[in-house]
Amino acid sequence: MSRPFPYTYISCPCADTPVPNPARKRRSRESPQKSTPERDTEGNEDQNGTKQSDVKEKEEEEKEEEGEGEGEEQTFDPRSPRSNFSLYPPEQLLYCEDCHQIKCPRCITEEVVSWYCPNCLFETPSSMVRSDGNRCGRNCFNCPVCTAPLAVSSIENVTGNGSGQGPWVLSCGYCLWTTLDIGIKFDKPTNIRSQLQKMTDSTTGPAFDARSRQGSRAFGDLKSPLANFASIDEQSNTREPDAEQSTSQEDATPTPHLGVEARFAALKSFYRTQLSETSNSPSDPLSSEFGFSSPGALNRLMSLYASSSRLSGLYGGAKKPKSKPPVMREALTASEGLRIVPESADTALIERIASPDCGWDGVASISQRTEQSPDVRFVDELLPLPVLLRTKRAKRCKSCKHILVKPETKPQSTRFRIRLIALSYIPLPTLRPLAQPPASLIPGSAPNLDLNALAPLRPYHVLLTLKNHMFDIVRITLATPSVTPGSVASKVTVLCPQFEIGANSDVWDEALQNATAPLSDRITGMRGGEKVPEAGKVWEKGRNWTTVVLEVVPGTLPGSEAEGGQATGSDIAAVSQKDEDVLEIPVFVHMEWDAEAQLEQQNVGKASKPDDLVARELAYWMVLGVGRIQASL
Amino acid sequence: MPPKAAKGEYIETDTGNKISRRSQIHGTQHIILGGKTVIQAEAVIRGDLYRLPSTAASTDPNNPAPQSNAPSVAITVGRYSYISKSAILRPPSRLHRGVHSFYPLKIGDHVFVGESAVVEAASLGNHVHVGAGATVGSMAIIKDFAVVLDGAVVPPGMVVPSWCVVGGRPARIVGEVGEGYGVEGAEGGMARERYRVVGRP
Repeated sequence: MSRPFPYTYISCPCADTPVPNPARKRRSRESPQKSTPERDTEGNEDQNGTKQSDVKEKEEEEKEEEGEGEGEEQTFDPRSPRSNFSLYPPEQLLYCEDCHQIKCPRCITEEVVSWYCPNCLFETPSSMVRSDGNRCGRNCFNCPVCTAPLAVSSIENVTGNGSGQGPWVLSCGYCLWTTLDIGIKFDKPTNIRSQLQKMTDSTTGPAFDARSRQGSRAFGDLKSPLANFASIDEQSNTREPDAEQSTSQEDATPTPHLGVEARFAALKSFYRTQLSETSNSPSDPLSSEFGFSSPGALNRLMSLYASSSRLSGLYGGAKKPKSKPPVMREALTASEGLRIVPESADTALIERIASPDCGWDGVASISQRTEQSPDVRFVDELLPLPVLLRTKRAKRCKSCKHILVKPETKPQSTRFRIRLIALSYIPLPTLRPLAQPPASLIPGSAPNLDLNALAPLRPYHVLLTLKNHMFDIVRITLATPSVTPGSVASKVTVLCPQFEIGANSDVWDEALQNATAPLSDRITGMRGGEKVPEAGKVWEKGRNWTTVVLEVVPGTLPGSEAEGGQATGSDIAAVSQKDEDVLEIPVFVHMEWDAEAQLEQQNVGKASKPDDLVARELAYWMVLGVGRIQASL
Repeated sequence: MPPKAAKGEYIETDTGNKISRRSQIHGTQHIILGGKTVIQAEAVIRGDLYRLPSTAASTDPNNPAPQSNAPSVAITVGRYSYISKSAILRPPSRLHRGVHSFYPLKIGDHVFVGESAVVEAASLGNHVHVGAGATVGSMAIIKDFAVVLDGAVVPPGMVVPSWCVVGGRPARIVGEVGEGYGVEGAEGGMARERYRVVGRP
């Protein structure tokens, strides 16, 4: 999900097992002359690099003096393909208190707390999920045509005398599909799933022979005995179900002998008995599962490898003569789940597709068919889909197995028993452009900068606010590469790279002091323009937040007019396609704070005072998305 | 944009609602704003589409129309909710036993309704974000902390569970927001900041 500018992403350090890339390291740490040719190979920027290198060198040196390096080896490149896997919006990140590390969705494991239907918001017990599948067993269905939820509505909608006026249908409020389109009505508005199952399982009609009933017995158990049949479409009633091969009738839909699910159950039980009959070693783990098509084949395969292996001479030498494994047979009768596709099925299908009353609209689309049983080809065979369940999940740290997030089990509840989100530990970054520039002196309402069209080579000031959610004062050191990575080299300077953020103390403290002070302060700063960003000074500061100014000079896009070259359309298109013109600033954040010692540490060091403070530090990269650079001036 | 009126674009009520002079609000006596709500220009709020007590009484002879004394509420909006430019809020309606009647639209706290979105839901929970150009169909229920992406069409009667992101036409659940969604100042928790900057000279 891309976000509108300005945005901030935080990089999870779990991706910090880097592929060594000496070129990149050189660029960030050493002289820029070396970095220039490297960039040339990357982008198609030619003269610009050498032209600016002197300036860059100077700035780089300044940066070094400002104390940029905290021993980090490598500059984070938001453009590298690896970054895709480590950059997350701040609210997605968690924090493990034991590892003292940011945790992203990649460094956690999830476990299901509860299943619930997203439509009726009822919890489904896990035993029912296991037995009935992860679909809602109540009245929740999705439209087979457009996936919108279906509503149960009465056909008799005219007058309002009495409530239970059937028959009932499921209707889609989005595409206006109803179950009448497939000829299904329901006798009562409840327990629709079992009613529907009964109808679809009995597609063979009245001559429902004993063997097939046996096969679908497991499903008969699920049905309510009270649920009686509603009107099935007449076509299937008139259809003569041929016992062995269900040949297609005049409407050319091959009628499955058993319902799809009943046939699956029959096949499953058939193969299970086959496996138990044919497997000679009951301890064989594969024989109990549906591992391979037949354990006989597997045995042969294994003996083949054993004989050819050179190690066979070492271990035991000659292989033991094995008895010939019994051969597993395939399903032979319909009760075992066999279905013979009639020869005319394909031609009948094609005829039906070609017929004018079917047409393009009558054929089910691929996305519709993926949700249905494999035999479904036409729109009028689509069945309503019971809603898939969703889960509430607890999250654990992968490395120390501590629970980071544990939601309440109730589907309706939005509360958490445990919720260790990164935002309660790391400062929340927010970015906004400073109403700028003071030189232009636009009074009153600052014109909204179009962040989607930043002019190249023009300095912009961006305000980066870091808001502390911890109850301790945090010392922050910010560092950026002076030139952003990528083919568009934008210059970035943090005007105040070292500062402190106040503790997230009681709100009342601030309220009792002076609540309106920061607000009015900010207003004057925004309006009058008398407040000028100064190097080494914090822009403004609140109870638990601090704002600093970043000066950004967007670079020129390769091949743009500003560079002197010809702005060919294809060049620009290529640039914006790769999002090279997006101005993203990698910022290294190093935070230090004095936390209260944890319990275990207190217990170990009894000599130390109980209110002992432990110095903590945390460092991570974040990426500030400032805007998109304009192609021309 | 026309030149700014001298009075300022927004009327601020006692409870801190900031309502644009250029918004269209019908049936104000049927609308409850919780305070600190922002209604931007050209937003349309249809409080006039309330449930008629007379029809309810006539269809239901057992009930002697208890609502007749109190004016029925068509739209309730919680605190710090934000109705963007050209958005439309209208109460949901349903054909029930042959009678077409309106039902109240409840909007929770910290809700954001994007530009030119149309909301006809039965309820939007707290911290719900409805993207620009999105449509929320009649009688849909959007639970707390849910996000409707830009341009999505939530079909009528759909329920969007908490923490879910829906998008597309018709809307489907396409993802979930992070656990930190709705934290003050972060994504989903910008309502106070949004309110603060509105109408500031």
